[in-house]
Amino acid sequence: MNAHTWRKFRVLMATQFAHMTVYRAEIVIWMLSGTLSLVMGLIWMQQAASAPGGEIGGYTARDFASYFIATWGTAQILVVWVAWELSFDVRQGTLSPKLLRPIDPFWMHYVGHWAERIVRLPLMFVLLVIFAVLTGAQYTTQLSHWLAYLLLVPLAFTLRFLLEYCIGLLAFWFEAAENFQELVWVLYAALGGLLAPLSLYPAAVQKVAAFTPFPYMLGLPCDLLTGKADLSDVLRGFFILLAWTVGFGLLRALMWRHGVRKYGAVGA
Amino acid sequence: MRFWKLLRIYLSASLSVQLAYRANFLAAILSSFANLATGLLGVLLFYSRPEIKELGGWNLEGALMVVGFFTLTEGLISVWLRPNLTQLSEGIRTGTLDFLLLKPVDAQFQLSARNLNLLRLPDMLLGLGLIVWAGAALGTVTLSGALLSAVLYLSAIAMVYAIWFMLNTTAFWLVNVQNITELFQGVFSAGRYPLQALPLWIRPVLTFVIPVAFITTIPAQALRGELGTAALFSPLVALILLAICRVLWLRALGSYTSASS
Repeated sequence: MNAHTWRKFRVLMATQFAHMTVYRAEIVIWMLSGTLSLVMGLIWMQQAASAPGGEIGGYTARDFASYFIATWGTAQILVVWVAWELSFDVRQGTLSPKLLRPIDPFWMHYVGHWAERIVRLPLMFVLLVIFAVLTGAQYTTQLSHWLAYLLLVPLAFTLRFLLEYCIGLLAFWFEAAENFQELVWVLYAALGGLLAPLSLYPAAVQKVAAFTPFPYMLGLPCDLLTGKADLSDVLRGFFILLAWTVGFGLLRALMWRHGVRKYGAVGA
Repeated sequence: MRFWKLLRIYLSASLSVQLAYRANFLAAILSSFANLATGLLGVLLFYSRPEIKELGGWNLEGALMVVGFFTLTEGLISVWLRPNLTQLSEGIRTGTLDFLLLKPVDAQFQLSARNLNLLRLPDMLLGLGLIVWAGAALGTVTLSGALLSAVLYLSAIAMVYAIWFMLNTTAFWLVNVQNITELFQGVFSAGRYPLQALPLWIRPVLTFVIPVAFITTIPAQALRGELGTAALFSPLVALILLAICRVLWLRALGSYTSASS
């Protein structure tokens, strides 16, 4: 990275961070609205507590708490809304001024998402601690696992971002891409492990899920923190995620090149 | 009479807007099915475990009815409430609410009925289909149970509407807060499965503080024939919420100073 790129990054980060702090109230609302994993967690905990042996598929109520709190936190880091923004920009013509800048709008969105994470982090951390204390959730104390988590999750975020970016770019052809986005979210929630730890899924679903990137994005990092996965799983997951990331990176570049040519610049 | 005529005009306007984006239609149907699949997968995951025989006293068919009511309500919110009520905060922030206030029709009615997102209609149909199918599979649904359930669900709709409308009315004071209704959606998410499947401490909160139980679990209980006339408490809650909602709206409107002038 040369000095020039570094400066671009710093400027983007500073402006996007300022932009995101304006929306801090909305960020909190969005954060509190994503409760699917918490609801599922509460039900699994209740079922495990009332099950004959006090556990379901090897998970006690406390294991479920640990897993679902980790899922909630990880899903917060993986939140991506770029598809909505791109779809809006293409439909309303607000993409035009962004095209005039000497930098691909991709970087503005990407850095913007990271800047939002910084705004999100303090409250998220407080909530995570409260949840963990209330439920007695327990996490690994091995430093290497936490470092592996910190390596895996940014990659998972980048992949999810590229995936959503490609969906947003569909707006060049279909004008409104929001519904495709919902479809992919459902796959992500179901196969990623928001509903239950993936090992509790029916075998057939587990097999299908392994062919998608979703279990490695969400379920794997959480299993790592709760001690249900080890570093060799992470290594495998990392390379699978990397391959998907490269694939979607290329797809994005291709779609962008063809899409911009089709762009009608509504309102210009 | 005048309201019916307006409703017809609003409907045809919504329809012609949405037919402009035809490719979206297929994706919308796909995502409706995918949404339902998530709800079903979630519930089947519970029952696929040999350790779980019943979910808080609910057998699979009963739980599926709750999922059906949840899907139906989510569909109703997407078709009717979200496209309408989220425009209020935008209108207040930019001042376009003034145009609406100038028209000689009740502003709350206009705000509540102007747009319909018909693309999400399949969600409602799938939810309804699931309720009927699960009810038939259960085989013990009586006519009086179905009627009671219908009354209770109508009250539930009124409650959801009142809560959504009240949350949006706060935009008069908290101009910067859009999407505040997502807070309700976050809590409502707890209604996707029977209330009795959740831990004991949270159940009173979801019944008396935020009436999530009244929206999905209680209509399903009525269909199963588990509720007596005591359930008619539900319409009372709905009426109270509607009244508070109306008063809040009128007060908010009284303090509105407009952004444009």
